[in-house]
Amino acid sequence: MQVALKAYGENGMLAHSLSESEREGLCQALLHERPPGCAEYVEGYDTVLFLFKQPTAGPELATWIERLESGKTASAIGYIHEVPVVYDGEDLQSVAEQTGLSPEEVVEIHSAPTYTVRMMGFSPGFPYLDGLDPRLHVPRKDSPRTRIEPGSVAIGGPHAGIYSVASPGGWHLLGRTDVQLFDPGAARGDSPDANRVFLLSPGDRLRFEPVV
Amino acid sequence: MSLEIISLGSGLSLQDGGRTGWLRYGVPLGGAMDRNAMHAANRLLGNRSDAPVLEVLMQGAQFKVTEETWIAVAGANSCPQVPAWTAIRVLPGQKIEFSKKTVGQASSLSPPSTKDRLEACPTEGGLFSYLAVPGGFVAEQWFGSVSVDPRNGLGSPLKKGDALEAMAKLPNVTTDGVERRLLVDEERRNYLAKEYFSLLPGPQFESFSPNAREAIIVSEWVVSAQWDRTGYRLEGPALEVPDAIPSEPVIPGSFQVPGNGQPIITMVDGPTVGGYAKIAVLKDADRDRLAQCAPGTQLCFQWAES
Repeated sequence: MQVALKAYGENGMLAHSLSESEREGLCQALLHERPPGCAEYVEGYDTVLFLFKQPTAGPELATWIERLESGKTASAIGYIHEVPVVYDGEDLQSVAEQTGLSPEEVVEIHSAPTYTVRMMGFSPGFPYLDGLDPRLHVPRKDSPRTRIEPGSVAIGGPHAGIYSVASPGGWHLLGRTDVQLFDPGAARGDSPDANRVFLLSPGDRLRFEPVV
Repeated sequence: MSLEIISLGSGLSLQDGGRTGWLRYGVPLGGAMDRNAMHAANRLLGNRSDAPVLEVLMQGAQFKVTEETWIAVAGANSCPQVPAWTAIRVLPGQKIEFSKKTVGQASSLSPPSTKDRLEACPTEGGLFSYLAVPGGFVAEQWFGSVSVDPRNGLGSPLKKGDALEAMAKLPNVTTDGVERRLLVDEERRNYLAKEYFSLLPGPQFESFSPNAREAIIVSEWVVSAQWDRTGYRLEGPALEVPDAIPSEPVIPGSFQVPGNGQPIITMVDGPTVGGYAKIAVLKDADRDRLAQCAPGTQLCFQWAES
């Protein structure tokens, strides 16, 4: 496939304006191999940033991408994380009011889909989840809270997410989970294992299970 | 043990080359704000260039030498009493103090390492000084780096009374070699010198109006009082702002332009993704110089020749 590329900094190339299937094809290929000289890559919403060890040669990256096929391949890992949620969030009522739903309906709609981790960022281990029902697309709060506790299950715009460390934030809080998304203690050492440090990786899927 | 912390001063942390490979999990790069100065301090002792160093913010940090060792200081420090951009031997009982003198004040010339108290005082501008010891400081790593990120729970911040240890007793060069080692003049930086900062177009450069693109390079910008290791906010004419973008990766040095039209230059502890349009990104080497620009510093930018 061919995708739009532009330089970002001296060592970066940004694949941008990606269609869903281009992004899918790129991200899946990157789980198995990297372009030559690529030190790391970062998923964005409709972008993938490639960071190279040397100032970049765009044509080489384009050549590497040309061999890839867009869309899903059969190699996707088939498991789903179940995340238990106590739906007692401070914004449950206001989200219900903004969406014209009852709080019970908000919970039902939020816990129905299987979400996909589109990207991570904001804080270590914070997942931007795809799959939020459009009925729950609510603009972010005008004035962010100064402190949100880790484990807070929230929605913002088209995304669902879970706060991974204590931080300020502008998303609407629907509930909380005891599941630890980021364990800094496991990050000690020279080359920690991502699976021990983070609950999720980009591309993972998850479901919220209401705890009564 | 080599050094004991008597006072943290304005800010003190262990830093190195930072974390690599974790951006896609939302873990910022971290590491020294001025890599050039860190490299210089390390090279003077024969260390690898990104060995763990102390990053000293402005003034007030004080140390007691508890064991004979060598130190090298580079960055926002140019007091001849500790010949900055060079390495010296220090003896038990000596104090090392980072104290800021009035910018431009003449410093008295006195021979180094004969006094009980050595003052390392920045007179040529800058915010961050780097203190290296032989082999680097012994410190625990998170994601392969000693860099501490308290907001994200990475590492344990330094505190008063902490004892810091050098990895090696002696520099990785002959003693005579270290004592006679100084950085050549061209590599010593005067952070007060007015120099242009070179910019590359940011990913959303094309979305900004011609006026905004012009304003970046023709206007004078000032570093605002809102700055830290995550980013430096600039003050200047309000740029016309294009629409926010779907969140995408952000690298240090990027000029993100939020709704008020005042750019924020992302630094090493800044968020790894963001939804503000980015008009420009600093040339990598110029990010080190930018890090040393105190609030109120006037900045001029130019587009890099490609």
